[in-house]
Amino acid sequence: MPIQTRRSEDGRTLTIKIEGRFDFSTHQAFRDAYEHGDQEVKAFVVDLTDTTYLDSSALGMLLLLRDYAGGDNASIRIENCNSDVRRILAISNFEQLFAIH
Amino acid sequence: MEDAPSDNQPLRILIADDSDSDRLILKTLLRRLGHKVLDAANGAEAVELFRQASPQIVLLDALMPRMDGMEAARQIKTLAGERLVPLIFLTSLSDADALARCLEAGGDDFLTKPYNRVIIEAKINAFNRMRLMHETLSHQRDLIHEQNRKLTEEQEIAKRVFENVAHTGCLDAASIRHHASPMSIFNGDILFACPRPDGGIQLLIGDFTGHGLPAAIGAMPVAEIFYGMTSKGFSASDVLREINQKLKRILPSGMFCCAALIQADFALNQIQVWNGGLPDGWVIRTAAEPVQLPSAHLPLGVLDATRFNAAMTILKTCPGDTLLFMTDGVMETRNAGGDMFGDNGVAAALRGIKDGETPFDAVMGRLHEFSGGLLEQDDLTLVTLEMADGAALEGLSDRLQLSALEGPAEWRCTYQIRDRTLGQFSPLPLLLHICMEVPGLRRRSGEIYILLSELYTNALEHGILGLPSEWKSTAEGFGRYYEEREKRLNEIEEHFIKFSLTHSMTDYGGRLVVVCEDSGRGFDFHKHGQPPEAGRGYAGRGLMLLHRLAGPLTFRERGNHVEIVYDWHFSEAGKSENPAVTKSGVSHE
Amino acid sequence: MNDRPHLDEEALAELQDVMENEFDVLIQTYISDSAERVSALRTALEAGDADALAKTAHSFKGSSINIGAPRLGALCMDVEDAGRAGRLADAGPMLDRVESEFRQVQEMLESFMVD
Repeated sequence: MPIQTRRSEDGRTLTIKIEGRFDFSTHQAFRDAYEHGDQEVKAFVVDLTDTTYLDSSALGMLLLLRDYAGGDNASIRIENCNSDVRRILAISNFEQLFAIH
Repeated sequence: MEDAPSDNQPLRILIADDSDSDRLILKTLLRRLGHKVLDAANGAEAVELFRQASPQIVLLDALMPRMDGMEAARQIKTLAGERLVPLIFLTSLSDADALARCLEAGGDDFLTKPYNRVIIEAKINAFNRMRLMHETLSHQRDLIHEQNRKLTEEQEIAKRVFENVAHTGCLDAASIRHHASPMSIFNGDILFACPRPDGGIQLLIGDFTGHGLPAAIGAMPVAEIFYGMTSKGFSASDVLREINQKLKRILPSGMFCCAALIQADFALNQIQVWNGGLPDGWVIRTAAEPVQLPSAHLPLGVLDATRFNAAMTILKTCPGDTLLFMTDGVMETRNAGGDMFGDNGVAAALRGIKDGETPFDAVMGRLHEFSGGLLEQDDLTLVTLEMADGAALEGLSDRLQLSALEGPAEWRCTYQIRDRTLGQFSPLPLLLHICMEVPGLRRRSGEIYILLSELYTNALEHGILGLPSEWKSTAEGFGRYYEEREKRLNEIEEHFIKFSLTHSMTDYGGRLVVVCEDSGRGFDFHKHGQPPEAGRGYAGRGLMLLHRLAGPLTFRERGNHVEIVYDWHFSEAGKSENPAVTKSGVSHE
Repeated sequence: MNDRPHLDEEALAELQDVMENEFDVLIQTYISDSAERVSALRTALEAGDADALAKTAHSFKGSSINIGAPRLGALCMDVEDAGRAGRLADAGPMLDRVESEFRQVQEMLESFMVD
């Protein structure tokens, strides 16, 4: 599975981990990963440790997650980006919308 | 004609065997299974029967007089073309080589003698299923081809509609070089250029998320807004805010447009740049190191209007400097080894510019080299804009659409903006629009705009904000000037700028009188009593322009009341040379 | 050594079942076909045409196996092999054996029909 999810012990944080390419082909799986969570989830972590590539449709998916998680009030952290991925996030100035670590 | 795919239909089966008794056995066997049998005693007969009756399955004896089974098999497979006609060899051959030759000749399987009823039935059924599956697949493939053909046709129409809305504007101007495929719109790339009324150019390059029609659709309103507003004289920031708001509203979240908007002002030799999500732009300088213009904003269509930041980066340029922007397709171009061109590729190409080579040719050349000639030209857009000398774009405003209606001749209007609005809103498009109602002024839109805009800038920056134009004569001061401008704009209180426009008809044409008043301290207009010498730097260039364009320029009161008289002649209203103006000069009252 | 039976009764019974009332027509077709083939084999041998010998023997073999005469089929294969290998000198005695086996098969088939 290219996308795995994990809940924190208190159930309030959902971590979504993406392996390999994060592009349009992962669209449905990525949506499923957060949409079927329950109301308890208050924060999201997108773990890109094993993400090799990210394209503009992935940026779009991150925006969809942000909308889902409450728009400007969303709590979303993007973690462990490699330098290529970080470059793409930086060009798009996504640090204005997400906490990127 | 093919039968509809169905499993239990009787089949037309062709059998060929030179042995009468064997043929009789097989024919009887197949008929008992419910099939229709055509029989031939040799290969030539079999091919002829196949041609006439196009049977669905063929059983062939391998060794026959008058064309053996192998040759018949080859001819039958050729005749069958794309249809799958299972071909089974009837044989008592026992050596492996001979059997292999049967398959090489196009056979799909064997039946060995003596015939076994059960095996024959099983094989016929198995091959019929294969045949039906192939037919279904072929049918679906044809459907897909047809769908694809329709889609291509629709795209072609969509492209033409799109070209009407998003015409290339002034991309053909001498100062612009670009690479953009006609079909690139379906990759979500956009590239527009439009002359501003003051002779400058606005350039928009962008890249929508996604591909195909969804990506192309967002481009339509962008083009409408961009061309509509730019040609009316709206500033780059205004255009950006409008486009962003529109995209935010109409695009599904998750879809957006990485873009850069560039406003080039040739008279002032400066450019304003906004980059939201595109790869670094560049200014390649004639006499200095290139400057990078990295993305400083979120792409268009992401943020709502209240959070959107349309602040432009302002850069001073010299004639001959070249601005370069590109979409991600350039970055993502790969070489045979799978490496991406990237920022390094662009930087290397720019470092390696040869004498006499343009930055555009340098980057395109390097891209071709890098991709080893496999450049996917549809997927990338690249544009350069050379900062031409002063009036290089004269006449571009002639392209603005003319209304056929007769306009007002005798009128007067006053428009005043106050306080915070001074920092947020430019009255120029509105004022220009009012003037453009006069047919005689329409061809002069460029000059009218410059006239209004110089008066406005003068009133705002010097009159109200009190910024010394001398600052702009050094590179550091240039930056400081615009920082300070921004800062002071936010602090404006109890100030106004008031325009009074009066138009009347004269014997020879018409006269537009523009009065611009501001609430500032004014300035010592006696010092500016004579037109400043050309080439003394930026400072005062605005006033110089006014002198050149219009008639009597009159300062009143404490220098915060300026009047300009602009005359136009019937005889020249349709031409684009300099207008007839009354003798240039300045009078003091 | 060829120890196959002259007639495969089981195969014949199945043929009878398939052919129903056309069974007799089948047997007559086979017998007249085969008689032609025997003389064609003779002609080929006398003309020294090894290729024609092999091809005719091949067809004869196939139809004999199909009709349920495995021993005749095997003898035809010997002739086919000899023809293919150009051993025409060996083919003479083999042909004799084919001829005598065919006569026997013919008799037995005719009696089968009468049954």
